[in-house]
Amino acid sequence: MIFDYVYSVVSRFIFSPLSYIISFVIVAILAIAVTALIPIFIGWVDRKYSARIQSRYGPVYVGPFGLLQNFADLTKMLGKRFISTNVDWLSFNFTPIAIATASFAMLLIVPLGSPSLEFISIPYSLLFVYTLLAISPLLLLVAGWGENNKYSLIGGFRSAAQIISYELALIIVISSVALLSGGYNITAIVQNQTSVWYIAYLPVTLVIFIIAGLAIIEREPFDVPEASQELQAGWEVEYSGIRYGLFLVGDYVRVTVIAMLVTYLFLGGWLGPFLPGIIWFIIKTAVVLMIILTPRWILGRPRIDQLIKFGWNWLLPLAVINLILVEVFVVL
Amino acid sequence: MEKEGIIRLNIGPVHPAMHGVLKLILDIKADTVVKAQTEIGFLHRASEKIAEARYFSNYYPIMDKLDYVSALNMEILYASAVEKAAGIEIPPRVVYLRTIMAEIQRIMSHLVFIGSFGEDIGNVTGFIWTLRERELLMDIVEKISGGRLAPMYICNGGMFYDFPEGIENEILEKLSKIEEKVKNEYAAMFTKNQIFISRTKGIGIATKDMIKKYGITGPIARASGIKRDLRKISPYLAYDKVDFEVPVENDGDTYSRFMIRIREILESIKIIRQCIKDLPKGIYKAPVPWILRIPKKETFVKQESPRGEMGVFLVTDGGDKPYRLKLRSPTFFAIRSLEELLVNVHVADVFVIVASIDPVMGEVDR
Repeated sequence: MIFDYVYSVVSRFIFSPLSYIISFVIVAILAIAVTALIPIFIGWVDRKYSARIQSRYGPVYVGPFGLLQNFADLTKMLGKRFISTNVDWLSFNFTPIAIATASFAMLLIVPLGSPSLEFISIPYSLLFVYTLLAISPLLLLVAGWGENNKYSLIGGFRSAAQIISYELALIIVISSVALLSGGYNITAIVQNQTSVWYIAYLPVTLVIFIIAGLAIIEREPFDVPEASQELQAGWEVEYSGIRYGLFLVGDYVRVTVIAMLVTYLFLGGWLGPFLPGIIWFIIKTAVVLMIILTPRWILGRPRIDQLIKFGWNWLLPLAVINLILVEVFVVL
Repeated sequence: MEKEGIIRLNIGPVHPAMHGVLKLILDIKADTVVKAQTEIGFLHRASEKIAEARYFSNYYPIMDKLDYVSALNMEILYASAVEKAAGIEIPPRVVYLRTIMAEIQRIMSHLVFIGSFGEDIGNVTGFIWTLRERELLMDIVEKISGGRLAPMYICNGGMFYDFPEGIENEILEKLSKIEEKVKNEYAAMFTKNQIFISRTKGIGIATKDMIKKYGITGPIARASGIKRDLRKISPYLAYDKVDFEVPVENDGDTYSRFMIRIREILESIKIIRQCIKDLPKGIYKAPVPWILRIPKKETFVKQESPRGEMGVFLVTDGGDKPYRLKLRSPTFFAIRSLEELLVNVHVADVFVIVASIDPVMGEVDR
């Protein structure tokens, strides 16, 4: 939508083929500026929130309430030296960029709080977001392999095993939402919830979605591949500096996207009385985000076999049964 | 890599999950440990040899650094050995003061165990919470002795200072705070948490035969159903005058080792309350010269440290320094059992089992 708007403005002044490229560049710069702020802010929220749970202060020195701490950290990461040896150059350097790109691309497709506020509008946006989420096991396996380290190799395999067992459940719950609304377009799904939010129809789906979503983005308690206690840091053990920073930023983007998707798919997105839509959206996303961020600080980490068993034995059958019930509901 | 499909993993001595500088050499096959070896000695400081060059009164700082998580227990143990060898009678107030300090230190040590055990399962918040509670007691130790981790509070024949005015009420106040946290918050965080239970129940089972074979004592033995606590079976200090229970669990897995510590904290709180109630008045130090000369004899004293039975074997030859000092440390024996405990477990469980025996390498390597 934003792209269409920019294109219409630019094409008034400049000849057509060139205007397409120029508006593309403008949108890219705009997208970087907007989307880069989101993970940095969410990172600050996470740090402050965890600090409050743990009786600490969290960042306080850089900027008001430590808001600029993450900028400082990223700047520091940019200046770090490359220290790894014997790594596979291509896979080692390609993976952080690919993960960060895939994460940021999701923010371009998801509307940012109002139907007109999306950078690129495509009809199957939900499916595309899922694809970008599900691409990570391959990349993490490549990263774990390319680092030439036993810990990272074990971490990479764990990561692949975990994500493969949970992404099936995720696509099934996404499909049951799509079945109810009749399409994979996020804007259309939200507009179908005008009378009743989907949380009323699909409470179980919401729970499955949050669990599977957390497992896919490897958020604690599903951080088995990273397992800082046993595998030091799993597949990211050799990464440092800005390469590690890209993983970190990508992680926060994906947390944000999961929270946004929960809001869009189940909580009616920007719909709500009295207040403007974007305020409603921010309130809902903030609440969901807090709920998603909490388990990391109060739960331990299950073992990899327990995790995979849970995924295949409980989550997947539940998702399938849920899908069948939704289908029956829709047909009736 | 000698065999097909076996990866050798060298964990430690510097590893984020290792307690101190323990090194594990694990042969793993598809996420299961086939063979485990331990390597110790990275923190060897010749503590026993140093004793031979020091006056009896000057060895306390080294004792502090043996089991640095429970330094006061070590000091009290050494003081008891020297006093037994020299035939010094300690005043009744000192007996009670030492009991209180030993139990405060035991609670602090168990809190560190609970936190680091939870941290090894991935629960960082638990670690910070237990350290927060430990800080309450750390403040008390600081007010009493002036030191925190290595207080250097005990001396031959008593203690360096008496308790400051009104510290008893403060101790009681903070103990009730800790009791409330242990009973409620830790239950929610650990003992009733499903993920915690699934990670610890049935993992790393140490049978009674194993305990006897390796000579393991303390909470690990009590978690396997062996009811043996030196405070009960051969009481020292004021332990025969107070009423407390020895918690015993029968499963012998990591969960029962965790539960033993939780229950021991509550028992220690009980002991301290009774001691403060009957705290006699009097002198806090027997008149003992700084330089002692102990006639030729052999003395062995053992006491229940938070990790098990810690013993001091003191050989004197009439001089002002020990002829030989031998330390018997509990985790040294427990670490030997890791080679058997760690076989056929998942890699993720290795760290839970290592954490559950609560090794402090300062005491293992001496």
